Amino acid sequence: MTHEQASELLAAFALHALDRDETRAVSAHMRSCAECQLELALLQEVTGQLGSAVRQVSPPPGLREAVLAGIQKRQNVIQLQRGWAVSLAAAAALLLLVLAALGVSLSRQLTALSARLTAQEQVLALLAAPTARSVSLTGSVTAAVRFVYDPDRGRGALVVSDLRDPGREFVYQLWLIAGTQPESAGVFRPAPGQPIVLPLAADFSRYQAVAISVEHAPSGAPQPTTTPVLLGKL
Amino acid sequence: MRTGASLAVVERPFRPRAVEWEMERGATQADHEATLLAQIARRDATAFETLYDRYSRAVYSLALRLLGNPQAAQEVAQEIFLHIWRGAGEFIPTRGSARSWVLSLAHHRTVDALRRQRVRAVEPLAEGDLGAVGGADVVDQALRGIEGATVRSALMTLSPEQREAIVLAYYGGYTQQEIANRLRIPLGTVKTRIRDGMQRLRVQLVHGEEERR
Repeated sequence: MTHEQASELLAAFALHALDRDETRAVSAHMRSCAECQLELALLQEVTGQLGSAVRQVSPPPGLREAVLAGIQKRQNVIQLQRGWAVSLAAAAALLLLVLAALGVSLSRQLTALSARLTAQEQVLALLAAPTARSVSLTGSVTAAVRFVYDPDRGRGALVVSDLRDPGREFVYQLWLIAGTQPESAGVFRPAPGQPIVLPLAADFSRYQAVAISVEHAPSGAPQPTTTPVLLGKL
Repeated sequence: MRTGASLAVVERPFRPRAVEWEMERGATQADHEATLLAQIARRDATAFETLYDRYSRAVYSLALRLLGNPQAAQEVAQEIFLHIWRGAGEFIPTRGSARSWVLSLAHHRTVDALRRQRVRAVEPLAEGDLGAVGGADVVDQALRGIEGATVRSALMTLSPEQREAIVLAYYGGYTQQEIANRLRIPLGTVKTRIRDGMQRLRVQLVHGEEERR
């Protein structure tokens, strides 16, 4: 979708008056367009006021308890909502995989645990979307690395469960590949005995593949200097 | 990550540790409500309770206005708050206020519920069903339910056609296409009315005194 097309639809987007496909296309454009983001912010101030102008009614007291009980439960158990039933089986299988990969473990460190929970929530939120996809990266090294992403929301995460240490002077670098053009999505080092999750946001419709190459520490290279060790098609 | 080219394509430079990302976000908050959302993103249940107490009335009232049924409104409001709990990290302070983020999310979820309700109620979808033609009833009903004087008078500065399109979209939960079908007018006409009407409301409301209830 061009900027002009998206820009024409922004008012309806703010009103949630577009159909699914249009919503998806505008969202995708929005992620890389600062002008449309600003415009939408202003339009949402308008819709926010439309929403605030309705007759105000106190919610039933039971709502507060139900909501607070809901988040308590959510802190321990990830509830699948009825609405997600569409790809429930697939999502459930992926959830298990990722939960296993993330290792819902007994980490004593609160910081580490909270970081991991946040990362898990991000991945789970990704997988909960009916449009979520998961790709296993394969190549010249033995590894357990998956890339999960939701093209609709432009969110994704690399889940590295098992990948050998690249050596002190090297790092792994993640690339998103558009046509023949690799674009860097950052560098990482595997943590021994501990899975890591690298969340990222991008317009995945632009890319055909994700790849990982070994580059010099600490910050990698502007363009890959070695053959990718792992590759996954989007 | 350090190349200019890659920064341009990745919306937010990604960070290897989610918690760092959250902390950085938290540090940039000026506004209290944005701070609340950042705390919620870090799973702060007390911050969530504060946010709930601040917004439950607005969220429930909006859901009730659109759905017209206290039971359904309660269910959707619950879903909305759980979504806020889960998705507070998606709020980006530089892209608007916390209030409009919460209300936009609430509206989106409520409209989704309304559309699910309609699919169940009108199946198969009978095109040209007499009951589904026109918009005057919905518009009248919606306008009666608007108590905010600023919004009400801003809506009254629109042409009746623009007002009808916007009210059917926002308070009726209809898509542009559904509005065109209902009113039996071309889709392009609906798009123009919505776009022009929203621009006008923006001039009236965003630069004017804010509606606070």
